[in-house]
Amino acid sequence: MSAPVLVWLHGDSLSTEDPAVRRYPSAPRVFVFDEPWLRGVRPSFKRLFFLFEGAVDAGAQIRLGDPATEVLSAMEEAGAARLAVTRSPAPRFDEWMEALHGRVDLEVVEPEPWIRIPDAFPLRRFTPFWKKLGAEWS
Amino acid sequence: MAQWLADRLVGCYAEDRSGAKAAPVQGGREAGLSVLRGFSVVGYATRRNFVPGDLTTVSRLSPYLRHGMLGLAEVAEAVRAEVGRTADAVKFWAELGWRVFWRGLFARLGRSVYSDLEPAKVPLGSGTMPPEVERGETGLVCMDETVRELVATGYIHYHARMWFASYLVHHRKVSWREGERFFYRHLLDGDPASNALSWQWVASTFSSKPYFFNRENVEKYTAGRWCARCQARCPFDGSYSALETRLFGGKL
Repeated sequence: MSAPVLVWLHGDSLSTEDPAVRRYPSAPRVFVFDEPWLRGVRPSFKRLFFLFEGAVDAGAQIRLGDPATEVLSAMEEAGAARLAVTRSPAPRFDEWMEALHGRVDLEVVEPEPWIRIPDAFPLRRFTPFWKKLGAEWS
Repeated sequence: MAQWLADRLVGCYAEDRSGAKAAPVQGGREAGLSVLRGFSVVGYATRRNFVPGDLTTVSRLSPYLRHGMLGLAEVAEAVRAEVGRTADAVKFWAELGWRVFWRGLFARLGRSVYSDLEPAKVPLGSGTMPPEVERGETGLVCMDETVRELVATGYIHYHARMWFASYLVHHRKVSWREGERFFYRHLLDGDPASNALSWQWVASTFSSKPYFFNRENVEKYTAGRWCARCQARCPFDGSYSALETRLFGGKL
């Protein structure tokens, strides 16, 4: 029997179609409002409520605080032994992963991109990018 | 429910507690799917540049795409299912392609998106956000309406975003970082890379030349509605050649 999993939903992938949710559809889900970051940036409340509605729609428990700390607490409460989360390009995501490294059985799920950008592809201007990689859609 | 959340998130948002209200559009995948079902791409290529809601064909899907409530692939396929490969579809897919481009750049550049990626092609200012601009009290209807809609709804049409950014950076000589933060604070679709790099595109630190516009452009794409009730001395009135000289000291 596999270890109980908690799925962590973040603001780049807040949906029941999130790749980590699709991998563990029956696992409990958590979304964390990143309190230290929000207190610095202070976005409009409209933005936060839009995210809140997204988290409710995705069936996630909603928490407020430091994300790494909060997901550890959520795992403990849920009796989860593994944390699954979909990768984000945001630098904060890497910082969260670093904070959790070695403290939890962590599974980063790679999203399936609409259009994959090869590592060696030079990203300078949109037109040559789209001409080459968006050919199917041009 | 908004009041309940506002109580719990005090100190985390820009408004006073009394000003904390829900956006006029609902978040979540189900709401996003509803917007997608109501969207038709027919006419997109020719009408997307128009700003007024009754004249434009923009999808209003961007907040859902930004937060992964909808996926780029499913939206692209929905358009293909509606019309196949038409000029409208191809234009719309290219707009989705910009999101792939920004996301790819963000993965590579990280927080460097907040620094000039290239030397500016024209002199830029380093001013801070003028209070009357942020309050939507410049007297320029096109700018004030843009701010009013942004703050009230969390959305503005992409063409109005470009006009506002160009006004702030090239006419008011405000640092693009100030405008970037202002938009990010309010836009429901605010995305670090898309927002910052679009401001850099206007400023010319991520493009070969600065973006600027004239009154004729605003009149055309707003059907003259804003200009008709504007009493201000218009800083955008003139040919592109004249504006080039006025803003940048000569032909680019």
